[in-house]
Amino acid sequence: MKKQIKIVASLLVVLPLVFLTSCGGDDQIEEAIEDVVEDTEAEGNETYYQIPSPDEMFGFIKESGLEFNGELLNPIQNADNYTDPKMQALNFGIYSADLAYTAAFEEFNETTKYFGTIQKLAEPIGLTSAFDKSLIERVQGNLDNSDSLVAITNTSYFAVVDYLDQNDQGDKLGIIAAAGWLETVYVVANTTDYAKDKAAVDRLADQKLTLDNLIDYLDKYKSNEDVSEVLGWFAELEAVYAALPEEEAETGISFKKKDNGKMVLGGGSSVTISEAQFNAIRDKVNEIRNSIVKTEA
Amino acid sequence: MKKYINKIVLLAAIVMIPAISFSQYCNHFHKSYCMPSENEMFKLNGQSKSALFSKGQTSELNIIVYKGQDYRVSLCMDENLGSQVKFKIYETKKVKVEKVIETKTMEDEMKTCGDCSGSGETDGEECYTCEGIGEVATGNEKEVISKETKVVVERQKQLLYDNSQDGFSNEIEFTVESTRRLTLEISVPGGGGGSSTSGKKGKLMKSSDMGCVGVLVEHMTTPISGFYGTGF
Repeated sequence: MKKQIKIVASLLVVLPLVFLTSCGGDDQIEEAIEDVVEDTEAEGNETYYQIPSPDEMFGFIKESGLEFNGELLNPIQNADNYTDPKMQALNFGIYSADLAYTAAFEEFNETTKYFGTIQKLAEPIGLTSAFDKSLIERVQGNLDNSDSLVAITNTSYFAVVDYLDQNDQGDKLGIIAAAGWLETVYVVANTTDYAKDKAAVDRLADQKLTLDNLIDYLDKYKSNEDVSEVLGWFAELEAVYAALPEEEAETGISFKKKDNGKMVLGGGSSVTISEAQFNAIRDKVNEIRNSIVKTEA
Repeated sequence: MKKYINKIVLLAAIVMIPAISFSQYCNHFHKSYCMPSENEMFKLNGQSKSALFSKGQTSELNIIVYKGQDYRVSLCMDENLGSQVKFKIYETKKVKVEKVIETKTMEDEMKTCGDCSGSGETDGEECYTCEGIGEVATGNEKEVISKETKVVVERQKQLLYDNSQDGFSNEIEFTVESTRRLTLEISVPGGGGGSSTSGKKGKLMKSSDMGCVGVLVEHMTTPISGFYGTGF
C-alpha cells in the first residue's frame, strides 16, 4: 500500500512539470516530456487549408469606404429558433461574422448584443469554454474602444477556431468557417455598388481563390453528412465563380525585391468580373445564406 | 473499499490527463513563441497555425494573400527540431487542362467463324457461338486500350521562395500586388526519411524526434509611400 502511495506521490510531482511545460522550454523540462510523450503516434504529412477570418474582410471594406448596413445582419431574435445542431453551427458562423462586422464599424451596441448571442449559441454546440469570464468582462470594459473591441472579438473567434482544431472537430470548424466566410461575402456583395466600389468588387472576385481553399478544407471532412451537404451548396457557388476569367498579366508571377528593398509578389494572373457575373454571385450567395438563416414561421 | 476506489480514480486521472494535455501540446505555439513584427500596424492573421511535427515531416499550409496588403510570415519551432527548418512558398493554382485518359479493359479475343463465313449461324461445334456476327471467341483474352480526351482541373505549384537560398531565414515580409493562393511548405530535417514521410504515419516516435512548429501570419494594409495630395 505504501508503495502505491509512493507511485501516486511521484506522479503528482511529475504532473505539474508536464502541465507547466510548453514547446521551447528549458532542457530539464524537456526531459520530463520525453518520458511521457514517448510512443506518441507521429503525424504524417499534412495539408492544411486556411480561411481568412471575417475581420480581415470587414477591416478592408471599411477602409474602402463602404458603409455599415445593419439590415444585413441576421437578427439576434432568430438565435433561439435554431435547434438543429447543423443549423446552430452554421448560424454560429453567421453571427460570428456579424459580430466582426459590427465591431469593425464601431457599432458597439450591436457588438454587445451579437457577442451575447454567439455566447448563448456556443452552449448547445459545446463551445462554452471559448468564452471565459475574463473575455466577457474585457468586452464589457472596452465598449468605447474600437481597436480593443475588434481585438477581443477576434480573440473569441480565434479561441473557437483553436478549440475545435485542437479537439479534432475539424468538421464542425469547417461548417462554422464556411458560414462565417459566406456572411462576409453576403455583406460585401449587398453593400457594394459595382459601378463605384472597384476595390470591393475586386475583393469579391478574389474570393474565387478563398472559395477554392474552403472547398478543399470541407472536402477533407466530407464523410460527415452535414459537411457533405454544406459542400454541395458551396460547389454550386463555385460553379458560378468558375465563370470568372483569369487574365494573365504581361509578366509572369514574380516574387522579388523592389528598389526600396521590399519583397513584392506581383504579376501573374488576376480574376476579373463583369457586372452580370457580380450579380450572379450575389444572387447565389443570397440564396445559400438565406437558406441558412431562415426560421420556421 | 471506498478508499481504494478513490485512489484508483485518482491514479487513472493522473495517467489520463497527460495524454489529454499532449493532444493540445502545440496549442497557441505561434502566438507564444513566434516573434511578432515590431511594426504595430501588423495584425495577427487568422490563417496562422501551429502543429506537431516529427523529424523528416513535410506539411503544407494553404493561405490566401490579398492584393493591397503587406504580409509577414514567421516561423518558430522547438529547439530539438534544429535551426534549419526548410520553408518554401509556392503559388498554387487550379488550372483546367485537357488530358487524354487511357482506359485498359480485357476483352475476349475473337476469330472469324469460317463455316458461316461471318454471316450466319451454324450448328457445327466450331461456330456454335457465332450468333450471326461472324466471329467466335477463341477462349483467350486481350488488352484493349481506349482513349478519351477530358478536361480536368489540376493543381499547379510554382516555387516563389526557398529559405535555404536565404540563409534559412525564418521570416519574410512582402507586399501583395495581386491576390494569390499560396502554399507554405514546411519541412523539418532529419528522421532519415528525406522530404517524403508518408510512410511514417502511424509509426511510433520518440518525443525527441517531435516538436511544435508555429507559422505566424500577420497582415496590414500596404502603406502608401511618397507624397500625396495636391499641395499648396
